[in-house]
Amino acid sequence: MKGGAATALYGSRASNGAILITTKKGNKNLRGAGITISSSFLSGKADSETLPRYQKEYGSGYGPYGEAGPGNYFFNYDVDGNGTADELIVSLGDDASFGAAFDPNLNVYGWESTFPGLSTYKQARSYVAPNSVATDFLKNSLNLTNSIAFESGTDTGSFRFSYTNNNQIGILPNSEIKKNSFALRSSQKYFDKLTVAGGINFIQTKGTGRYGTGYDNRNPFQSFRQWWAVNVDILEQKRAFELDGKNRSWNTYTFDDNRPHYFDNPYWVRYNAYSSDERNQYVGNASLNYELNDDITILGRITFDSFDEIREERINVGSTDVAMYRLFDQNRSEINYDLIASFDKDINDDFNIEGTIGVNLRVNKRNLFIGETNGGLVAADLFNFDNSASPLTPDNTTNYDSTSKVDGKFIRASIGYKDTFFIEGSARQDRSSTLPLANNSYFYSSVAGTFLFSEVLDLSWLNFGKLRVNFANVGSDTEPYNVFNSYSVVAPFQGNASASNPSTFNNIALRAEITKDTEFGVELRLFKSLNIDFSVYDRLTDDLITPVSVSQASGASSVFLNNGSISNKGIEIVVSTKIIEKEDFNWGISVNYAKNTSLVKSLADGIDYLELASPQGGVSIGAKVGEPYGVIRGSDFTYLNGKRIITTTGYYKVSDASNLVIGDTNPEFTTGVKNRVHYKNFDLSFLIDIQKGGDIFSLDTYYGYATGIYDQSVGNNHLGNPLRDSLANGGGRLLDGVQADGSPNTVIGRADYYANALGYARAPKALHVYDGSFVKLRELSLSYRFPDSILSNTPIQNASIALNGRNLWIISKNIPYSDPEAGLSAGNVQGYQSGAYPAIKEFGATLNIKF
Amino acid sequence: MKKIIYIYSALLFLVSCDTDEQYEQLNKDPNNPTEVQADALFTAATVSLFDALESTNVNNNIFRMVAQYWTETQYIDEANFDLQNRNIPQNFWSELYRDVLYDLKNAKEITTNSTEKAQIEVLEVYTWQILVDTFGNIPYSEALQGQDGPLPVYDDGATIYNDLLVRIDSALSNLSGSGFGSSDVIYSGDIAKWKKFANSLKLKLAVRIDNAALATAAAAGAFTSNAENAIIRYEGSTPNTNPLWVSLVQSGRNDFVPANTIVDELNALDDPRRTVFFDDNISPYKGGIYGDSNSYALFTHIGEPMLDPTFRGVLLDYAEVEFLMAKANIGSAEDHYKAGITASFEDWGVEGATDYLAKPEVAFSQDNLGKQFWIAMYNRGFEGWSVYRMFDGAIDFNLPADTGNPIPTRFTYPVNEQTLNNANYDAASSAIGGDKQTTKIFWDN
Repeated sequence: MKGGAATALYGSRASNGAILITTKKGNKNLRGAGITISSSFLSGKADSETLPRYQKEYGSGYGPYGEAGPGNYFFNYDVDGNGTADELIVSLGDDASFGAAFDPNLNVYGWESTFPGLSTYKQARSYVAPNSVATDFLKNSLNLTNSIAFESGTDTGSFRFSYTNNNQIGILPNSEIKKNSFALRSSQKYFDKLTVAGGINFIQTKGTGRYGTGYDNRNPFQSFRQWWAVNVDILEQKRAFELDGKNRSWNTYTFDDNRPHYFDNPYWVRYNAYSSDERNQYVGNASLNYELNDDITILGRITFDSFDEIREERINVGSTDVAMYRLFDQNRSEINYDLIASFDKDINDDFNIEGTIGVNLRVNKRNLFIGETNGGLVAADLFNFDNSASPLTPDNTTNYDSTSKVDGKFIRASIGYKDTFFIEGSARQDRSSTLPLANNSYFYSSVAGTFLFSEVLDLSWLNFGKLRVNFANVGSDTEPYNVFNSYSVVAPFQGNASASNPSTFNNIALRAEITKDTEFGVELRLFKSLNIDFSVYDRLTDDLITPVSVSQASGASSVFLNNGSISNKGIEIVVSTKIIEKEDFNWGISVNYAKNTSLVKSLADGIDYLELASPQGGVSIGAKVGEPYGVIRGSDFTYLNGKRIITTTGYYKVSDASNLVIGDTNPEFTTGVKNRVHYKNFDLSFLIDIQKGGDIFSLDTYYGYATGIYDQSVGNNHLGNPLRDSLANGGGRLLDGVQADGSPNTVIGRADYYANALGYARAPKALHVYDGSFVKLRELSLSYRFPDSILSNTPIQNASIALNGRNLWIISKNIPYSDPEAGLSAGNVQGYQSGAYPAIKEFGATLNIKF
Repeated sequence: MKKIIYIYSALLFLVSCDTDEQYEQLNKDPNNPTEVQADALFTAATVSLFDALESTNVNNNIFRMVAQYWTETQYIDEANFDLQNRNIPQNFWSELYRDVLYDLKNAKEITTNSTEKAQIEVLEVYTWQILVDTFGNIPYSEALQGQDGPLPVYDDGATIYNDLLVRIDSALSNLSGSGFGSSDVIYSGDIAKWKKFANSLKLKLAVRIDNAALATAAAAGAFTSNAENAIIRYEGSTPNTNPLWVSLVQSGRNDFVPANTIVDELNALDDPRRTVFFDDNISPYKGGIYGDSNSYALFTHIGEPMLDPTFRGVLLDYAEVEFLMAKANIGSAEDHYKAGITASFEDWGVEGATDYLAKPEVAFSQDNLGKQFWIAMYNRGFEGWSVYRMFDGAIDFNLPADTGNPIPTRFTYPVNEQTLNNANYDAASSAIGGDKQTTKIFWDN
């Protein structure tokens, strides 16, 4: 539902349209008993195209910073106790792979030789690449869904009850999500006028070991993609953990100090530093609908959506990180009260008027408690606040309570002429408790016209044609507590109360946001088989309420402002057609295409730049006036006559400025193609998804190219020598470009240590910005509907079985070692990857039976 | 029909019985106070100021590297003066403006006690001086106005210094009676000591700009013993521990070793303070090569005092005062020089000052003055760097081994000043002679 119709009824939140999900209610025209059973499973595996390809030639180290062994990469220790420290130990503390070249004739001591509990204690072994790679840590995922539904219907009433159980096991060890959902819905009509209806859904979700996505030990991919020693056998880490549950890490300090250094044993992390959660959600409604007469209906309705949840995070004693227990306890609810009168009257043979008039009250409540232990845990395996190493201070707890209300009055009316021309208008006045008193009320309206030109033009090939024009304004409020300033109480020092001003200042002069939307659309059905739905829109959001970064010399990091205006313009097209249509066999294609262009037209007075994020890696994602919303800035290559400038040491010359535009996180367009083939009782469909553009900065290659874990760091250079040989031995990398004087570059740069030209601070940030385009086979499904001939003697009305596949094939992409759709954030900040998760290929089957 | 319309209209108005005032009340956060005492802001700001100077977190404070007291082990960009990668200038700038200066200004607005205002003034002047000495020209007159001044103009460093000297004099005249008591975590309300602190700060400012008259006036009332040092006693548990402990011990990381620059110097002098400055994990003391990759196990480690969560933080100490007086030639420079060294020994609890002073290598000279001043400022990275800049050439710094980048004489402006406050940033850059790490602060000649 789009435009004024959506916003009149649903208010500010429908400014981008509203998706109406109509759930099943009982059907009075049932054949059979009215019981449906459905069962499905999906098994998944990480797509290797989106995993790192590790080099298998060099072991741990940052460079030749050791004290012994070939190349000076190793350390000495007296392992056998004979008084001479002459045994070679790999650099245990290094989380990188720019170490010595593997050599089967070299016997060294690795992490596995430092733990007395292991059978490999004090055993040297041949210095070679292990049989496993880090990503062998992953397992297959499994997703099982079973549901049963009961329904019935009469001329006056309906009933439906369903239960669904869903169990998901993830690709990381000890990860599981279990879900139970119950849904009940019923309605009954009395006196042919009064309909009572109600429904309730109860959804219980329990999760264990959800994937960590941050820059820390809880995200195994932060290690596997950025900081890893490829001589480590991950399956040996697994055995070392499973022996007795101890944290024997691959990354320790020295031979005689085997505590974990930067990283814990990744298996130990999954069982000792994991999160768990439980959520109970209740969604429901109750309504009374009274048909006053043939033209007027009055509806009174209450709807609610609430949940309570607890999330717990824990890090056990023994981790390299400070042990902790963290509790997040939240209740949220939204209740809507609606009173709506609808009318639908034929004024005469030509004119019809229909519309609604109503009031709505929306109440949102949220309360939240967050607590975290202070300074570690005392005893292992005990996760509660009693076990906090130091008493909790105000820095360790957060209490949040809020209630917000929005009340609205609205009217919408539509006049139709001969069922061919329609004109519709709506108006709504909202009042919100989250805006300042002087400005808490805002008005918005819309007008739309529709012309069913297929009724007027008598063309045999034009089955349906509709033209639609829509102008709408929508006002919107903000979150609670953005108006008045308050202080933060911080931990007392030496018993003295301490408080500080917050870093974001609120604003007592906030106004409502207004979004203006102009939309034009055409819907066509031609030759009884070609459907075209085309729309063009221009959306302008003014007075966007957002915290705006300001100079910190002002005493604030950001200030809430009505910040300027942002426009989004675009087109959306859906074309579907039947290529072949015969009795037993038909084939249809449907293509959809969407292109959106955003533009920051203005920002608040004096402000030039809206910073959305300045994540690790030294880039900034933001929006400058005159640019799209979501541009990546950082240091860039420098150019002479279109060629990259190389320094006298063979490295890219990095720009002096670190705020140059190096990417745009917005895709140019997205499109999808769906094919559906039907032959007798078989249906085959597949969907291809395409995205063009959408840049991504990868912290994974930013660090990973400096730690030498990927296969891009090995191989031969232009002279045929190993890249990682010293410059003296003909190694090194020749970069394509020119020297400062314009001559083609002939200077070879070092590629044998962490400070090589392609990683971390040595390369321009632009080197790690990738084009996020892709073509993916998103879905593939083959289903078989059991014919009536088989079912006719059974109580089964309908049965089908299907084989499904999801994300089976990435047909093309640009970003190396990763999935272009993996990203650290949903919402406004896109285009950043760190410790990215792989794409999962899933394959499975579904069985549906209807009695 | 009419009845139904009347009933319906009545129902319409029932929708929300709440008045506008009731709506406004819903929008006031019950969990965070809208008013606090000046004491609470004063304590929090004081702790933030100490934390900013004491920290060795590579995202916030790399002064111990810039002063070549320490160098790094595995990740060596900061020792090679890469300020951009971790936005170090931005983090330091924001902590001082936002978490120290703004709260101090707010506390001054809340209190009516003139002594309390004077105590706040002293800390404000101290903080402004740090900012000028780090960046050069900075926002001053238009700063700290919140949303009324989101993009402040930059003021000239020398002009700011002159204003700071006026403000410190005015604060001195108001330091009488009683002000902040227990909430004063530096001197617990001892106003006599605040006066000494204010005079010592005035001495420091005056010596930077070579103003002999002001220096002499200040010296008369400055610190006379270590008992008067402006220090904070950190606590044993987070979040109130010395931030050094968080980076060096709690993190489990081994990011720093003492630098060869200071280790070699102290080895040549056979300096007894090595026993506390450094650890005795290997013998003889061996400092990491400045700016190179240094495997932690193979070099001398940082001394034990720095690993204690309760280790004191220092804003200004007696040794510094004596050395400043020596530089300003107030009375006998040599006497002040010797008193400074003795004060340093005493502060660190090390014996043997007298024998040390008798060594010919420690005899008074301008070069030795600079060198000993720098040694005495060990662990006070910001001061060590300032001493290096004040005594051009007296102290032999190494160029960082990996990149050979020049020693910075200032920090570049925060990157977000470039993007957000562009016009004022551009004006300031050209006023100081270019926003580079090698541009000199106005008093550094």
